[in-house]
Amino acid sequence: MSLQGAVRRSFVALRDQRAAWRSVLEECDPLMESLGNLGEQMNALSRVRVSDTPLRAFPDLQERLQFQLLQAVDLLLQRLRDRMSCLQSIRDSVGGHVSAALQLYQDSADGLDVAVATQRSSVAPSLADMLEWLQDAERFYRRFLQRKTLLLTLRRDDRAQLEGAAKAWRSLDSPDAEQQITDNLCRLAFFLESQ
Amino acid sequence: MESLRLLSVDSSDRGSQRCRLGPGLMSSLGLRLGSPLLVSLPGGSCLCTAWPRPDLAEGFLQMDLKCFTPSLVSGLPAHLSLDTAQLSPAPCTKLKSVKATVVVRSLDFKKNTNSSLVHELVKDMLAGVYVHKEFVINLEDFNTDIRYVAVQGISPKSAAAGVITSKTGLEIAEIQTVQHYMSRLQDQHTPPLGGLEEVSASLREMLQLPLLYPNTLTSLGVSCPRGVLLVGPPGVGKTVLVRRVVMEVGASLVVVRGPEVVGSRPGESEETLRAVFERARSAAEEGPCVLFLDELDSLFPKRSGSSAPENRLVAQLLTLMDGMSRSDRFLIVGATNRPDSLDPALRRPGRFDREVIIGAPTLLQRKAILSVLCERMPVGPTVNIAELAQITTGYVGADLSALCREAAMHALRENVKGSGEQVVDMKHFQEALKLVGPSCLRGSLGRTEISPVLWEQIGGLEEVKTKLRQSIEWPMRHPEAFVRLGLCRPRGVLLYGPPGCAKTTLVKAAATSSHCAFLSVSGADLYSPYVGDSEKALAQLFRQARACAPCVLFLDEIDSLIGSRSDVGTPNSVQTRLLSVLLNEMDGIGLKTVERRGADKVLQAEGVEQSRTDDELDCQEVCNKDVMVVAATNRPSCIDSALLRPGRLDHIIYVPPPDLQARLAILKVCTKAMPVDSHVCLEELASKTKLYSGADLENLCKEAALLALLEENMEASSIQQTHFLRSISRMSPSLTAQQISSYLIPHQ
Repeated sequence: MSLQGAVRRSFVALRDQRAAWRSVLEECDPLMESLGNLGEQMNALSRVRVSDTPLRAFPDLQERLQFQLLQAVDLLLQRLRDRMSCLQSIRDSVGGHVSAALQLYQDSADGLDVAVATQRSSVAPSLADMLEWLQDAERFYRRFLQRKTLLLTLRRDDRAQLEGAAKAWRSLDSPDAEQQITDNLCRLAFFLESQ
Repeated sequence: MESLRLLSVDSSDRGSQRCRLGPGLMSSLGLRLGSPLLVSLPGGSCLCTAWPRPDLAEGFLQMDLKCFTPSLVSGLPAHLSLDTAQLSPAPCTKLKSVKATVVVRSLDFKKNTNSSLVHELVKDMLAGVYVHKEFVINLEDFNTDIRYVAVQGISPKSAAAGVITSKTGLEIAEIQTVQHYMSRLQDQHTPPLGGLEEVSASLREMLQLPLLYPNTLTSLGVSCPRGVLLVGPPGVGKTVLVRRVVMEVGASLVVVRGPEVVGSRPGESEETLRAVFERARSAAEEGPCVLFLDELDSLFPKRSGSSAPENRLVAQLLTLMDGMSRSDRFLIVGATNRPDSLDPALRRPGRFDREVIIGAPTLLQRKAILSVLCERMPVGPTVNIAELAQITTGYVGADLSALCREAAMHALRENVKGSGEQVVDMKHFQEALKLVGPSCLRGSLGRTEISPVLWEQIGGLEEVKTKLRQSIEWPMRHPEAFVRLGLCRPRGVLLYGPPGCAKTTLVKAAATSSHCAFLSVSGADLYSPYVGDSEKALAQLFRQARACAPCVLFLDEIDSLIGSRSDVGTPNSVQTRLLSVLLNEMDGIGLKTVERRGADKVLQAEGVEQSRTDDELDCQEVCNKDVMVVAATNRPSCIDSALLRPGRLDHIIYVPPPDLQARLAILKVCTKAMPVDSHVCLEELASKTKLYSGADLENLCKEAALLALLEENMEASSIQQTHFLRSISRMSPSLTAQQISSYLIPHQ
């Protein structure tokens, strides 16, 4: 059945993209850490009065340091945004597979009763379950919008926000939902191998 | 019809727009996996996609609220069960474009985020969502600052609902904060107001002027008013008025409730107050804003000498109000029912610039309120709102709404017993009137329940009855005639005469026949061991009586209650002080400003055509805005002469002891309920009872009846003439000729 095939292909794509997704996120973590670090440095710089220290001999030290830090922030943000576009492409590919599978179902739904779609067997879950899991996975990947919003609304002059960015980033991890996808893939092991 | 139990949504389904049903129900409704489904709930409806339940059980429904009518923003009620007829498949097309308002969490986000970014994010979030026009889409599961998207219109216009794809265009009409959006939403449900048009117009003007014509005001070099103090007795609708006006103007409202502000630690209250002002300031950046301080007197009382914590709170409010710069475009509205206990520093221009006094509603206002209240009720044709407004003197808006509720409850109870259509009739209102009293008289001294007495129940005294009717009943019944002849209602009536001649009963009958509030005081109510307390009580009584005018205030035995200044001995006794209060209240220099009611309206001579009944009511209002004092005494010589002059107790009516005709009439009334033998000649009895007062005659009838019982051993069926005659011979009249003549001398 071609619908089965499309669903199977979607899950295979999902399994493959999962590793890529995780690796990109892992790359992001140290970057966010250093962003927080930079925020801390900027904070410290704003508190110190250079004219009271032996460093006063250097002209415009404070401004120069500030400029350098801002440059570093810009660089980091640029690199993070690159990662974001990686994430976006992963999400788009998953989304494409999912919507194709759903579309295929919609087209062939006339000959497919709900009772048939909800029939489960010992080797494969029902079609309804699988479509639902695909949707759930797509929804999970769409959550990256939170990270995108966080990065895009980050202002370089807001030191408190920079400092807290790493923490906010970490709080966006949802291990439960990720685990759910892994679980679902495990349940599908027979189905995926049965081709 | 099968009923479905609504369960709360699974956490894994949150944000998915899924509606979980049993597969059997899905196929019976013709739904596929993921087909859009419109669920109508009590108070709104919701658009979701149908999915079978994981356990395939029937009879349950779980919905993720993603796209719903704005009225469901606050969530679903618990324990709901639905009917399968409430589910209907909704045909959805792919949409070309959507126009929507984006609701964000904080003002910061709105200010610092550029619109193209919001556009991009919202578009991404909405992909794949089924939307319905004029519904709200909840985006809370993304956990960003963007909370809701309110769909305004979709294209193609022929469709009611559709799905957003990546090709759908998005147009953002406006970005609002959640607070602003919610307050706008809430305001759509407030009921209209009746009878407060003038006050609300002035309040609205104050709110709108600086917003509509900011340049004009700056060119005039004036700053717009910042504070309004609403003063009025409880229940007249101060809070409702503010909410209503705010809604009409489209402003946002920041409400401060007393206990919220006051904290336990020193300085905490002031901090909260500052935060409230900050909140109002940030809300004012989005549009007009009103900061509403309810029950102002409890928060900011008069500062006392000691260092009470309230003093600091008052000082903080003063500095905050002074510190409002011209650019802060928000209005502070305070409401109180005890303006005298406010700190005087608050009541000066620059702080609370204007004071708006809302008094107890007048007749026309009551009529307006009642017609607004009755609009939403199925009212029968027998209900006459004008008449109801006349009966309900002293009722404030809250009382009137309680009255309507009670009447509706009566109708409901009746309907439960029998069957028939739901109609609220006049009799239900009359039942309700017995339960709901005017709140301005609640806790008043003189509130008395009187048993109704009809004029017919008083025998004789026709002349006195006519005089009383003239002064009490006529101004109520025929106001237009009074206005035509330039008459005004008398301020007071004094009834004097020998004891037992029906003075009190006459007043009762007068109160029954005129539908006005009736207060009666005795010495027990007024006298108190504290100096000044009695005077205060009397003044308070008059204040309350004025609040629910037209009102009859009855002072029985006025000679002992209020003394005379000519009394030798104690020139400064309580009685003399009470007398001075009474003189002042009856014909003083004017009213306190706080007691103003309605608008200062003269009889309109405008070209507007008014219906006759309206005109009549208007006349009545003009005539009957005062309190009428009715006093009774049997020692008229002990009353201070200042009280007896016209303008105070204008009508001085002598209630004479009954003459022959009157005695006959009294006997007829008294023996009406008695089985009197046909041989009894009442005329003879009347002629034999010279110098008997009304009370004596009543007593005589009782004695005769008792005598009959005594003689015939409890088996008497009628009272004979001999019984009457024998009881006459045992009794002696309570009046003496000398006594009567003493009443006649000083006034002839």
